[in-house]
Amino acid sequence: MANLVEQGLNALALAGLLFLISAGLSLVFGILRVVNFAHGVFYMLGAYLGFTVVAVTGWFWPALVVVPPLVALVGGLLEASTLRFIYRRPPIYQLLLTFGLALILEESIRVVWGATAKGVDPPLLLQGSLQLGDLIYPRYRLFLVVLGLAVGAGVWLCLQKTRVGLVIRAVAQNSEMADCLGADVARVRTLVFAAACGLAGLGGVAAAPMTTAYLGMGIGVIVDAFVVVVIGGLGSIPGSMAGSLIVGAAQTWGAFYIPETAMVIIYAVMGAILIFRPWGLFGEEE
Amino acid sequence: MRRRDFLGTAVVSAAATVAGPAFLRRAYAANPIKIGIPTVLSGGNAQYGIQAKRACELFAKDMKGKDVLGRPIEFVYEDTASDPATAVRKAQKLVERDGVKFLTGVVLSSEALAISAKCPEWKIIFMSTINGAGALTAKSYNRYFFRMNTSGPMGARAVSLYLAESPMKRLFALGSDYAWGRDSVASFSSQIEKVKKEVVGREFPPVGTKDFASYIAKIRQSKAEGVYLVLVGQDASIFLRQAHEFGVTRETKPIMEILELENMKAVGDAMEGAIGSSRYPFTLDTPRNREFVKRFHDFHGVYPDMFDGETYEGLEWLVQVIQKAGTADDVEKVIAAWEDSSYEGLEGTFFMRKCDHQAVQPGFAVQAVKDPKYPHLVPKVLATYPGEKVTPKCRTEEFD
Repeated sequence: MANLVEQGLNALALAGLLFLISAGLSLVFGILRVVNFAHGVFYMLGAYLGFTVVAVTGWFWPALVVVPPLVALVGGLLEASTLRFIYRRPPIYQLLLTFGLALILEESIRVVWGATAKGVDPPLLLQGSLQLGDLIYPRYRLFLVVLGLAVGAGVWLCLQKTRVGLVIRAVAQNSEMADCLGADVARVRTLVFAAACGLAGLGGVAAAPMTTAYLGMGIGVIVDAFVVVVIGGLGSIPGSMAGSLIVGAAQTWGAFYIPETAMVIIYAVMGAILIFRPWGLFGEEE
Repeated sequence: MRRRDFLGTAVVSAAATVAGPAFLRRAYAANPIKIGIPTVLSGGNAQYGIQAKRACELFAKDMKGKDVLGRPIEFVYEDTASDPATAVRKAQKLVERDGVKFLTGVVLSSEALAISAKCPEWKIIFMSTINGAGALTAKSYNRYFFRMNTSGPMGARAVSLYLAESPMKRLFALGSDYAWGRDSVASFSSQIEKVKKEVVGREFPPVGTKDFASYIAKIRQSKAEGVYLVLVGQDASIFLRQAHEFGVTRETKPIMEILELENMKAVGDAMEGAIGSSRYPFTLDTPRNREFVKRFHDFHGVYPDMFDGETYEGLEWLVQVIQKAGTADDVEKVIAAWEDSSYEGLEGTFFMRKCDHQAVQPGFAVQAVKDPKYPHLVPKVLATYPGEKVTPKCRTEEFD
């Protein structure tokens, strides 16, 4: 029993982390119609900035607050200076551009922080593990579950219940029409891109105590995030949540119960989705 | 590179027109012995390429003013980006365009296998200072390939010898899911079972695993006293952090095939007490090594990790062999001079076996410990094994 609970919690913690990353990827696709290859690098940037803030202040919590806006700022500036000019071109241009940005950012991070991985300690409050009956579980992972849920609820509420969310959804549905009705589409795009990068940055800060900050962490995570988004449906926040849960569960349970095929499972799920529901669980048929 | 070559030619031609005879001397002195370094300088494995590069940079500084056969040593670096196909292409460029006769500093075994296979055709020497795959000096041996470093099976051997004397009985093995991880786990299992210990579980997480929770749960359930880890650098750091979080490392001691300084820096105190083998523990207390560590630290501001040390030793040995051969151009003569020769390295005496070009050298079992002299955990030597005990039988990955 304790084992089942533990595996369940493991799946939830991983899902929390995956959600923070895939939500932004999904948003950017939904609104900008761009598959952002650089998204993983913003996650990595978040982790490294988090390391620096923790090293400077000696505290973890400030990093969680300061880093996402910083990463969002970098993302916003990049969107405004590069992506903005090629939305009308064929998708291959955007792919190449974001891929190039990913390489440039990754190497810049190496130049600034060096090639050695950076360890980040969790805040004192979340260090060590909690004893729940038979179960011993790390506090930090419980925090990841809560953080993932809180951010998911926040983003969903923002999109559904606020005016900003309304405009964003309008742009997502039909950007030309929204433009005619007076929405500043260019600004919405920049803001959404920045916000998505901020979410990835938050994911990076949150991941750093669990995985350390290291070169290549962005590339590794972007593949999982794509799978999540394909399963959940491009552009859908509830879809990202569902996709994160499915991928989190498939990875942790797969590795536990059928380790030899763990790698294949999530791709099998993705393949099945692509065959039977190509627009994803929560996506809209186009 | 091209621009610099062009400028160089321009300067030399200008000098030639001004002073005839001086030009001849100059041209001779400016004909360096080039060593090609096709290594990983970008992406996730760059930390290892940077170690190779640091060693070369220090070596170049140490060799300043000391010519070899009247010629200076020059390094030419190329970035392979962790890709075997790119590695071969870059190596070919070094051989054909830059005219290097020696390649070293290759990081991944997959890259090394690809480059080594081309060396008989190129007729150049490839010296491994990093690559662990046993096959390089066994199944895939060719006479242009020399391995001066401790191989993967040799590391597993040193750990097994150490564990044979420890009270631990039940062990779990966790290896990255590719050749190195699987080979090492197999080699470790067979050696450990010979000394009547039990391997209670084996798992192979994919390279790049970021969440080891499922594996950690299995290790805990197995009630193993130690877990043997053959994980690539970053994966090892992540595993150790998470295992510590779950409190598993209290009951199950981490035993690593290679205990790297990089891991100790990234994992921090959570790694204290981990044991493993080291190809080059920088804390080794010999006069030569103490002096090297000081020079390295003065130059780079950090302490040398395993590949820093072994790459530097490799370069020293290579230069010694070139001097002995009396040529840096006739590769066959250099090979003949190297075979069955020995070298006094930082770690002790090295001997290059003629039969498979694997250097016989001491093996070390070390432990990650705190030492107030250093800003991070450091490897402490627990046991040193003589070369003949840790080197496999010729052209095999097996031990007596």
